[in-house]
Amino acid sequence: MRPAPAAALLFGLAAAALLAQHTVSVAVLALVLLVVCLRAPASRRWPYLVGALGSALALFVLTPFVERLPGTVYWTGPTIPVVGTLDVTSTELSGALFQACRLAAVSLAFAAYALWLDHDRLVQAAGFARRSVLAVALATRLVPALERDAAGLVEALRGRGVEPEGLRGRARLVSPLLAGSLERSINLAEAMEARGFGRPGSTRLPQPAWGLRERLALAGAMAAVVVGALWL
Amino acid sequence: MALAVAEDLSFAYPSSEGVALRNVSVCLAPGQVTLVLGRSGSGKSTLLRAFAGLVPHFHGGRFSGRVEVADLDTRRHGPARLAGTVATLFQDPEDQVVFTRVLNEVAFGLENVGAGAHEIEARALDALASVGAEHLAGRLVTELSGGELQRICLAATLALEPKLLLLDEPTSQLDPEAAEALVELAVRLARDRGTAVLLTEQRPALPLEVCDRVLFLDRGRLVFDGPVRQARTWLQEHHPSFVSAGGAGDEHHRRAGEVACRLDRVSYAYEDHLLVLDGASLELRRGEVVALVGPNGSGKTTLARLAAGLLESLSGSIERRGRATYLSQDPGRYVFCERAVEEVAVGIGGDLTAARRTLAAVGLAGYEDRHPRDLSSGERERLALAAVLAPDPDLLVLDEPTRGVDPERKRELAGLLREDTARATLVVTHDIAFAKAVADRVVSLAPDRELVHA
Repeated sequence: MRPAPAAALLFGLAAAALLAQHTVSVAVLALVLLVVCLRAPASRRWPYLVGALGSALALFVLTPFVERLPGTVYWTGPTIPVVGTLDVTSTELSGALFQACRLAAVSLAFAAYALWLDHDRLVQAAGFARRSVLAVALATRLVPALERDAAGLVEALRGRGVEPEGLRGRARLVSPLLAGSLERSINLAEAMEARGFGRPGSTRLPQPAWGLRERLALAGAMAAVVVGALWL
Repeated sequence: MALAVAEDLSFAYPSSEGVALRNVSVCLAPGQVTLVLGRSGSGKSTLLRAFAGLVPHFHGGRFSGRVEVADLDTRRHGPARLAGTVATLFQDPEDQVVFTRVLNEVAFGLENVGAGAHEIEARALDALASVGAEHLAGRLVTELSGGELQRICLAATLALEPKLLLLDEPTSQLDPEAAEALVELAVRLARDRGTAVLLTEQRPALPLEVCDRVLFLDRGRLVFDGPVRQARTWLQEHHPSFVSAGGAGDEHHRRAGEVACRLDRVSYAYEDHLLVLDGASLELRRGEVVALVGPNGSGKTTLARLAAGLLESLSGSIERRGRATYLSQDPGRYVFCERAVEEVAVGIGGDLTAARRTLAAVGLAGYEDRHPRDLSSGERERLALAAVLAPDPDLLVLDEPTRGVDPERKRELAGLLREDTARATLVVTHDIAFAKAVADRVVSLAPDRELVHA
């Protein structure tokens, strides 16, 4: 499938997850997107899955402690100044599960976009706002680029006999990773400018016309938003 | 008639107190291949950037004098406007790739300069064919080796059919065969299409054979400008390392000591399950320097990583005695600390005295308090070398240690590596002159992954 309708379909599913009101509906959407992500090569998918599922889990764990909703009290904790008494109720837990599923679905939709879509073709297909689409495509490549850089930095440390173990060892990588990505972005900007990026009157490689699958995907994206808003 | 002119050009980067170029005046004629030589940080890349309009438009800084390309004054016309007339191939191909697919990458410049929509693909494919990479058109750039990526970047510049082609150390990641092909291609463009080619190199032997003219920069000043024959005499007199064959006349007859590392019929495959190494054997002894050469993608880096203990082999055995350190190809990975001296001390438990000593040994005395990111590419390479030398390893593995290093520094580096008689050293390199200068024996990893000892 061409990337523009595929991106629209993923956007539609993410929008449906945001609009849906039932935990089961959102969980099913998240599950479908998880299956899509799991079909990507293992070496590429793990940072996205860890990011998406990890943040959803963190949201599920933290939400009951910051919300104050009535319901069956499962646990009562200490009283903390300003915050008050910590407790976990059935309503808070179900609310946390709903929000976690929602976050997981949206994150997994982005993961599927990053893992499966041909970003080059997406940029080519952009009829307007090409610069913005290119910026998004370049930003999407940040995750795998950071992953490669981190592996290189770990190798540079191990090559000196230093094993970056534990949280502290890994934290050591953060600063060079961020500085390195800034440096790369400057080099890339220079190379793009030298190749005429931003010059008025640019043209584009011709794109083949959309087929039936592309039209169906676009219709599916719109249907997902409507169904999500009205029935899920 | 000159195609490009730099007149009394001086330039200083905004973040630097020093001057990168001082009163440089050069005329470039169509069809002429001009080689720019000089030590690391002498202003070679800055001169190329001035002709591309990137200096001063992209970098800012203090600019005086005048640069014109095809009658376009670079003070009024920025790099985007000059694109197409000028095309630049930068040092590091990985930092200039915009798209993920090869064909889109090559087409990017053509789209920007407004080439006819229906001729873009044909021109991109022609450019790929001219560098022998038409078979890569549908591939992902992430799947390519450094050498292949360099060819793709060159194709992207050639697709623009520029009048002025600027090549900044284009062969730094290429094996000798690919480097020769690239230089020959540049010469062919000059002869057949009348393209003016301005080329910088730290492996000058090959371009010195084919270029028309040589410029030599010293701390931003143009100290030599003349035809290549005259340049050879001048270089022989003032900078002999730029014209010597590297190890010519040096006979290495050192007695190798006990085995520091033995690889016996090792095999290795990455995630795609394609065997990168299949039954390779190599013995590294104390006191000897072994150079590992071979074409791009032949598995040299994999063998080096296995020797250093950074990878586990699929089969075969690896016996290592003592501590091993490994210098990565990318010196940009040695940037964990705020000061150069602290960076070198990372592998020796923070011993700053030993770190200072090692920095001095690699020619970086006085750089102790500089931030690693503020160093030039050649200086970063030496900092990285200091970082792996500091632990005083029993086995030192260096992966392409001469990228961006000028010939004079290479000679010093060869001397430094040969000083230690208690250590086994494995040097992976494309630089045959350096291999000859430094190695007691050269081992070649052939495309069929056979090790050939010479």
